[in-house]
Amino acid sequence: MKAVGARLPRYDGVAHVTARSVYVDDVRVPGTLVAKALRSPHHHAAIKRIDTARAKRLSGVRGVVTHEDVPNNVYGHLEALGIPADEPLLAENDVRYRGQPIAAVAAEDSDTALEALDAIEIEYEERPALFDMRNALDPDAPRMHHWGGVYPHFGPHNHRRVRKGDVEWAFDQADVIVEGVYRPQAIEHCPLETQIALVVPEAGGRLTIYSCTQAMYFSLGVVAAHLEVPLNRLKFVGGTVGGGFGGKVDTASETIAALLALKSRRPVKWRWTREEEFLASSTRAPWHIEIADAVTSDGWVLGRRTVTLHDSGAYARFSPYGVTKHAFHHTGAYTIPNLRFDGFVVFTNRVPTTAMRGFGVTSVSMAVELHMTRIAEVLGISPWELRLKNANRIGDTTANRVAMQDPSTVPVTLAAAERVGEKLGPEYAAMTADRRSGDLLPEHLVAQQAPEGAHVLGNGGGS
Amino acid sequence: MARHSGRGFATIEYPTGMNQNGDPSQAWIKLKPDGRVDVFAGTVDIGQGSKTVHTQIVADTLGVPYDWVTMDNSNSDSSGVCTGTFASRGTFIGGNAVRFAAERVRERILDIASKELEIDAGDLEIADGEVVAKGAPDRRISVADVAGAATYNYGELISGQGTALKPFAEISDEDGSVQVEPHSAVSYAACVADVEVDDETGEVTVTRLVQVYDVGRAINPTLVEGQIEGGAMMGLGLALLEQAYPHYPSAEHRGAEFGTYLAPALEDLPELDNVILENPSTDGPFGAKAIGEMANNAQPAAIAAAIHDAVGAWVTEYPATPERVLRAIQAKAEPRREGKRVIFDEEISLSAVSSNGGAGFLEV
Repeated sequence: MKAVGARLPRYDGVAHVTARSVYVDDVRVPGTLVAKALRSPHHHAAIKRIDTARAKRLSGVRGVVTHEDVPNNVYGHLEALGIPADEPLLAENDVRYRGQPIAAVAAEDSDTALEALDAIEIEYEERPALFDMRNALDPDAPRMHHWGGVYPHFGPHNHRRVRKGDVEWAFDQADVIVEGVYRPQAIEHCPLETQIALVVPEAGGRLTIYSCTQAMYFSLGVVAAHLEVPLNRLKFVGGTVGGGFGGKVDTASETIAALLALKSRRPVKWRWTREEEFLASSTRAPWHIEIADAVTSDGWVLGRRTVTLHDSGAYARFSPYGVTKHAFHHTGAYTIPNLRFDGFVVFTNRVPTTAMRGFGVTSVSMAVELHMTRIAEVLGISPWELRLKNANRIGDTTANRVAMQDPSTVPVTLAAAERVGEKLGPEYAAMTADRRSGDLLPEHLVAQQAPEGAHVLGNGGGS
Repeated sequence: MARHSGRGFATIEYPTGMNQNGDPSQAWIKLKPDGRVDVFAGTVDIGQGSKTVHTQIVADTLGVPYDWVTMDNSNSDSSGVCTGTFASRGTFIGGNAVRFAAERVRERILDIASKELEIDAGDLEIADGEVVAKGAPDRRISVADVAGAATYNYGELISGQGTALKPFAEISDEDGSVQVEPHSAVSYAACVADVEVDDETGEVTVTRLVQVYDVGRAINPTLVEGQIEGGAMMGLGLALLEQAYPHYPSAEHRGAEFGTYLAPALEDLPELDNVILENPSTDGPFGAKAIGEMANNAQPAAIAAAIHDAVGAWVTEYPATPERVLRAIQAKAEPRREGKRVIFDEEISLSAVSSNGGAGFLEV
């Protein structure tokens, strides 16, 4: 029997439904301490003083850590992709969002740990906070990030750019220019299993890290970098996660739990409360997307101008990656030959946003598809036929000039139309994904086409 | 008061693997002396079913029964690098890693079987746990006996490793162009949403979602449907219900528990009609493409378009809460026309909201 294509039961399904799968919180190690974090009560404030002396003296407290205890406090999770570090593991001079961790304690029990948090003295000086990404570059906007209002490291630019073809020509030629603003919102990941780590110091000096990460080796690298230890000093145990959706790539709990385990020389478990999961863990980003499309009255999209703002919250985290992916896919399932795109990673005083299912591209779909429906409405043509006409075809090139090998805009659209009984004109019903020719290869789409067999357009297509 | 029905749709695409690549997944496989198969891969199963799918890929690549294969993804000591379960890379990139490892193990099995049968390895094939001579099915040896011979006669641990890695694609910061493809195969989907809108309360009910997904090859159709249906509910949440900041830009009023955060529940479940198309990729395992992330991308715009179809109002700030829908119905805003420009949503634009008309963001 072939396994591929078969409706085989889930490998770990019986274990899941009989509660025998082992999640991090199921692991019990004798002598484990409870960890708790002291988090910023302010959206934005300077930290003038941190005093942990009284907390350390409390009976039952086995470890207290602040930024001073982190060998490498400011480490960028995507430094390998050229995205520099900006976020401290534990806040040092300032806090930039409510819920930002400043100190953490390990104690014999939860009550003692909470008592220790109360005993930590912190002197804040509150600062004005910025919440609307649209105001980040206003002259009077509160300054909250040392890099300025937006992430400045897209090479020489403070935004991710796409320039393709001749946008001025497209807007001159257009019969109609349709402009709209789309605002996908922040949402929570809502995993049933909150962020959690259990770190056990082993006799040989290694740390065993029971982790809920979605990315075991990625998180291994992050913890090792903060602690400045070789990868073999750490053993990650995981692989089974109680819901992630992108929210468990942040390595949110492992490093601080490891620091406390090293400090106390005891096993430490840090399990976030539901309230922390909602209020202090990252969210999907809010986006602000302005699209102007140059269209002809018979439904060709000649060109597109896009300005995208991505609310990164207080630090960059993975946002520059997300905006770059957004840029590459900002035309959706369609071929638009003339493009001007500017995408910004904007800092605000909210919880840093992070990856979530569809990172960077969900926002494209939410904006572009509604915009396409509007174009059809403005032109008075079928939204199905508008999409089929401008659909990606073999040999068309993407925003970043990659030749499409097997695009399925046409097959999936036709299959959906058939399923709901939508009647299409015969020339649309007969469409395929094949390379453009005839009426489907008007002059404005010639230059963007890659030569047959090519994988990248190269310097064709203007610019 | 009246309930109005409407229909909207959306067509989307989604890439497989990390944008710009450079994200390896590694796997290795060993055989026990009875031919049973141990797979070690670092791919985290967050519920999407990668352990199941990887096991299926290994079973068919080797030609052994599915229940001969065990999968260990439990720790970083025994498994190689897997960059992570994100970017819809588990089936394709993680799957290629176990496939490549299994291909090497298959070569070792055939090599030893060739010695045992005294038949050229190229004339042998493996099916259902048996190595069989092509065209001479009575000339055969079980994979179990091959593994036993390797262990006890030839002194070999039959094993193999595989790495899936597409090279990093540099981007031009000036125009966004790349010189190599910055992702693996691209998946496509279309979604048709049928809704009912109550023009007195602003409440939107999604009655039906018809969804078509081209996944290249459904390694496990049940799990593909799980992604499609789970994704549909998340997309419905994005369209109508969920918001971390209910009064964005205000950072207050965040829900702090499931009781104060509106996520979709079974009462919101519409009729779901799933269609799986299989337009195989050239380089994914058995032609597979990604399905994981894209499954919540198409519904929000399809539902928003259906609201417009029902009541003639555009809601472009997500989610389309009853309040937003009612306000849009009452405003019935027409776009401003200026020459050939048709301008929607001006009041929420950068030029309207920022104190300097959007300078710094617009036309940089």
